[in-house]
Amino acid sequence: MNPISDARTPDTDNDALRYGVVIRPPVYRLDARAFVCSQLLHVDREALAEEGVTVVADGNFVGVVATSHEAARRAAARLPLRWSTPDRDATAVGPAATDARLRRDYQWPGRLAWGAEPDWVIADFIDGGLRLAGPVASTERLRGELACLLESDPQRIHIDGDAEAGLGRQGSDDAAADAALLARAIGRPVAVRLDPDPYARDAEALARARRLRVSGTADGDDFRVDDDLGYVSVPPLALWLTGRLTENLLRDPDAAALQFTFVQESFLDEVAAALGEDPVALRLRHIKDPRGRQLLKSVADQAAWDHPVENDGGADLVRGRGVAYSHRPSESGDAGSGTRSAWIADVEVNTVTGGVRLSRLVAGQDAGADGPLRPLLDATPLRDTLERKLLGLPSSPPPADDWAAPADRKLPAWRPSSPPARRDAPGTPALSEGVDLSPAVAVVANALYDATGVRFRSPPFSPARVRAALEERARPGKRRWWWAGALAVTGLLATLWPFRPSIAPVARPAANLYSAETIERGRLVAEAGDCAVCHTAEGGTVNLGGRPFETPFGTLYSTNLTPDPDTGIGNWSYAAFERAMREGIGRDGRHLYPAFPYTDFAKISDTDMQALYAYLMAQPAVAAPAPQNELRFPFNIRSMMAGWNLLFHDPAPFKPDPSRSAQWNRGAYLFEGAGHCGACHTPRNLFGAEKGGDARLSGALVDGWEAPALTAASRSPAGWTEQSLFEYLRTGRSDAHGVAGGPMAPVVAGLAELPEDDVRAIAHYVATQMDAPLSDPAQSERAAAVVAASRAAPVGQEAGQRVFEGACAACHENGTATFTSAKQALALNTNLHSQRPDNVIQSILGGVHAEGVAGAGEMPAFVHSLSDRQIVDLVQYLRARFAPGETPWKEVGKTVADLRREHDQQ
Amino acid sequence: MSDALHLTVNGERHAVRAAPSTPLLYVLRNDLCLNGPKFGCGLGECGACMVLVDGRAARSCVLPVSTLADHEITTLEGLGDGERLDPVQDAFIEEQGAQCGYCLNGMIMTVRGLLNADPAPTREAVVAALDHTLCRCGTHQEILAAACRAAGLTPSAAQGEPSAPKGEPSATQGETE
Repeated sequence: MNPISDARTPDTDNDALRYGVVIRPPVYRLDARAFVCSQLLHVDREALAEEGVTVVADGNFVGVVATSHEAARRAAARLPLRWSTPDRDATAVGPAATDARLRRDYQWPGRLAWGAEPDWVIADFIDGGLRLAGPVASTERLRGELACLLESDPQRIHIDGDAEAGLGRQGSDDAAADAALLARAIGRPVAVRLDPDPYARDAEALARARRLRVSGTADGDDFRVDDDLGYVSVPPLALWLTGRLTENLLRDPDAAALQFTFVQESFLDEVAAALGEDPVALRLRHIKDPRGRQLLKSVADQAAWDHPVENDGGADLVRGRGVAYSHRPSESGDAGSGTRSAWIADVEVNTVTGGVRLSRLVAGQDAGADGPLRPLLDATPLRDTLERKLLGLPSSPPPADDWAAPADRKLPAWRPSSPPARRDAPGTPALSEGVDLSPAVAVVANALYDATGVRFRSPPFSPARVRAALEERARPGKRRWWWAGALAVTGLLATLWPFRPSIAPVARPAANLYSAETIERGRLVAEAGDCAVCHTAEGGTVNLGGRPFETPFGTLYSTNLTPDPDTGIGNWSYAAFERAMREGIGRDGRHLYPAFPYTDFAKISDTDMQALYAYLMAQPAVAAPAPQNELRFPFNIRSMMAGWNLLFHDPAPFKPDPSRSAQWNRGAYLFEGAGHCGACHTPRNLFGAEKGGDARLSGALVDGWEAPALTAASRSPAGWTEQSLFEYLRTGRSDAHGVAGGPMAPVVAGLAELPEDDVRAIAHYVATQMDAPLSDPAQSERAAAVVAASRAAPVGQEAGQRVFEGACAACHENGTATFTSAKQALALNTNLHSQRPDNVIQSILGGVHAEGVAGAGEMPAFVHSLSDRQIVDLVQYLRARFAPGETPWKEVGKTVADLRREHDQQ
Repeated sequence: MSDALHLTVNGERHAVRAAPSTPLLYVLRNDLCLNGPKFGCGLGECGACMVLVDGRAARSCVLPVSTLADHEITTLEGLGDGERLDPVQDAFIEEQGAQCGYCLNGMIMTVRGLLNADPAPTREAVVAALDHTLCRCGTHQEILAAACRAAGLTPSAAQGEPSAPKGEPSATQGETE
C-alpha cells in the first residue's frame, strides 16, 4: 500500500475510532465582562444521518462525528444550523483620570496559542471515566474542568499528554474538552484535530480575557491596580458554550501571580524608561525585603547586568536584555516569608521575520525561611519552554522536505481499553516543579522593549505579533539601486567565460536501483512541480515535450523528459540532472533558458532531487526529438545566459526560517521550490527574470492567461482566507471565488496527488503572503452583497445581454438548480474584477475543461459559435453586470482577436 | 486507449468505451441507442438533450462522460415503468403540448427535474425552470399548460397569471383552447 497517499483513513486497523469536528457559533468572544455568543436556535440532527454522521449539540456546542476526518469536515460545512445574533456588548472603559499619575493598560489572553501545528487529541469515555491522549497538559485544573463538563469524577479522568502546563493555556485544552463531549455522546473514542479552524479562532475570541489598568506616580511609587476586568483563568470553550461553567473554575492563584507580575514589572520597566533610570537600580530602590534585594543583586551580577548586550550592527538582528522580579507571599502571609524570584533574559529579535530567541536566561529563586535557597535555577529547560510557549517557536520542526503526512506521524495508535482506573500518581507538571514562573512573561516583554523599543502590553510574543509591531513602527527605507549596476558589470565579465563542460553520458540506471518508496516520493515531487504540465504537448504523450512557449524573446519548446537515451534524458547521470535542475546547464554543457524554472528548482532538497531523478528514470522511454526553438538574435546565443544567471539566479538551497512554524516552512518549501508558483505569479523584468520587492507575486501574464496577484493586491471581491485558499487548491473551487481554469487547472490536478497537509501548508504560506486571515466570518456577508449587487441588468448593454441570455444563462443564471448549473456566482469571480479581460475571454473561447479537478466543472468552448463582436459585447456586459464598481475594459476587441488566433492554431 | 467506463442509465449498468471527455449525449444516443435526448446546439443552450442525473435536470451535451460514473442517469425512456407513462408525460398528452416535438424531451425532463426537487411548485417556478429550454415552433402556451397540469396547478393558474416564458408575446394568452 502506498503510505503517502491521501486515502489514509487510519480506521482500517482501528474500527472503533471516529473523527469529530466542532462548529463554533458565528459570533463568540470573551469580553472583559462576559462571554458573548450567538444562541443556537435550530439544528437538524437527522440531516446527515444517512451518511453515517452523528450530530452532537449541547447548549451552543455543536459537533459532528463521522468515520473519517474528511467526512466530518464536509459534514460540518453542510450541517444546517440557525443562530441568533448576539446583542452588541457595550464595554465601558473606566473614566479617564486627570491627575499626574502614570497610567497603563495591559491585557492577558485566554490562550497563549492555538497550538504549534496540526495535531490530534483523542478522547474515550467509558463508564463515566475519560481517557485523553494528545498534546494536552495533564493538570489538576483541566481534570477538574473536564469533570465539571462531563459531570464525572476528576479522579476518573486520565490524561496521557505531554504538553507543559505553565505560563498559559493552549488550544489543546479546548480540543480536549470538545473531544470528550463528542466521545461521551457517541460512546466511542473520538479524534479531534487541532486545526486552525476553530482553534486559532478560539484563541482570537479569547484574546481579551483579562484587562488591567494600573497606575503609579511618575517615579514608580504607589503602584496600584485601578481597574481589573475579566477572567484570570479561562476554562475550555465547551464549558462556556454548554453553560456548565461554575464560578470556582475561574480562579487560579498561579495564573493570577503570573499575570500580576507581568503587569507590575512591565509597568516598573516603563517607569524606568521614562525616567531614564537603570531598571535594576529602580527595582533595588523599591524592594524593601532584604533577601529579595540580595537575590536581585546576585542575579544581576551573574548576568553581568553592568555590561549591556551589544548590537553588532547586523541589519536584521537586534538584541536586548530585560529584568523582572516577583515576590509571592507564602500562605502564612508573614512579611519575611514567601518566594522571591529574579530573572534576567537576553533576546535576539529578527526584525524581518519577527522571530525572537532567548539567547540567555539567568533565573534565581529564594524561598526564604519557608523553602530551600535556590539561588540560580537551571535555566535551559526554562528557556526552551519560554521559547515554545511564549515566542511561538516550534521545538524541533520536521524538515521542510518531509513528505510523510503529519497525520501519519501524529495520529497515535488508539488501543481499545478497559475503563480507566483511578489514577495513582498525580500529573506531571513538567517544568514548574518547585519553580515559580511569575517573572517569566515580564522578563521577556522587558527584554523585547530593550531590543526594539516596542512595548508589548500583552503576551504572547509570537513572530506574527512582533513583526506587526515592528512594521507599524518602521520608517520607509530607501531603495538601493547601485548594486544592480555593479552586478551588471560583473555579469558582462562573466559572459566572457560562459562555457561549461559537458558531463559524460551514462547508461540509464537499472530499473531495480531505486526502491519503490523513493520512486513514489519522486512522483510526489514531480506532481508538486507539475513537470508534465509543461513537458507535455496539447493532447500528446506525458513528458514527451514539444509544448510551445511564446516569450517576448521568441518561441521555446519543452523537451523530452522520458529516459530515452537519444532524445530524452536517458543518458543523463544524476550529476547532470542536478546541475540542470539547480544551475540551468544541460548535460552537454549548454545553458538552458529560464522558461525552465531552475531558479525555483534550485530550492529542492537533495533527497527530493534524487527521488525525482529516480522517478523520471523509472518511466517508459519514448523517442521524440524536441522542435527547434525559434528565438530571435541575440537571444539564441545560449552562453549569454551565464551573465543572466549571475545577475538573476540564486542557486542557494531552501533555508527554513526557524522563527516560523513547521507548516509555514513546509508551505514555503513547496511553493518556492518544486511548486515554482512565482514562475507564473511574479511579473518578469526586461530580461525575463522574476521581479523582486513589491512586484513579487503581484500577478503576471503567462501563455495568454493572467496569473492573478497572490499578495494583498488580490482583486478578489470577497477576499481570500486561508480556508478558502485550501479549498481552492484542494478541490479546484472555492465558494467565495471561482474555479481553477487555464494553466491553474493542471496545477490543482497535480496537488490532488499530494497529502492534504501539504496542500494546507501551501495555503497557509500563500495566506501569509496575502495577509489573509484564517477564516473571516464577514466573508460570506461580503460575498452575498456582491452577488446581490449583480442581480440587476446593466443599462445600455442589450447586445451583450442577448448573448448572455442565449449562450450562458441556462447554466450561469441561478434560477433553478439543475445538475449542470454552474454553482459559482459570476459576481465573485476574481477574473471579472481584474484589470485585464484575458482570463474571461480565454474561458469563453476555450471553455473550462479541467481534467482531474473535481470541483471545476465543465464549460463548452464558444470559439466556433460566437463571433468576435458577440464576445466583445458579452465580455463588456459581464464586466458591467458582475463587477459594477470597476471601469469597463479597454481594447477588448484586440484581445479577443489575439486570443482567438491562438485557439485557431490549436 | 481508455478503459471501460461504467454508467448507470435507467437503472441498468453499462460498460462503455469512450474518451473521458466524450459528451454523455453521444454515448447515450450512439452507444446505448437511447434516442429520447436530442442533439440541438451542443453548447448547453437549448435543452433538447436534457436527462436527469440523480433526479436533477442536466444538459447531457456538455457533460463529459467521465464525470458521471457514480451517478444515476435517467433518460426519457426511463421515466415510465413500462406499463404506464410518467404523470408529466400524461400531462403533455392531455394538453397536446407539442408541435414538431424536437424540444419535447427537454421540456418533459425539465419539468420532471423540477417536480423531483419541488413537488408543488408555483407557476413562476415552472416558468423559471423552462426559461432556457427552447421551442422553435412557438408552442409555449401548450407546453406551459402541460407543465402546470403536471405540477398540479389549476388551469386558471396556468393561463391567467401575468408572466409568460421570455420572448413570448402575452397577447396570445387565452387563445389556446
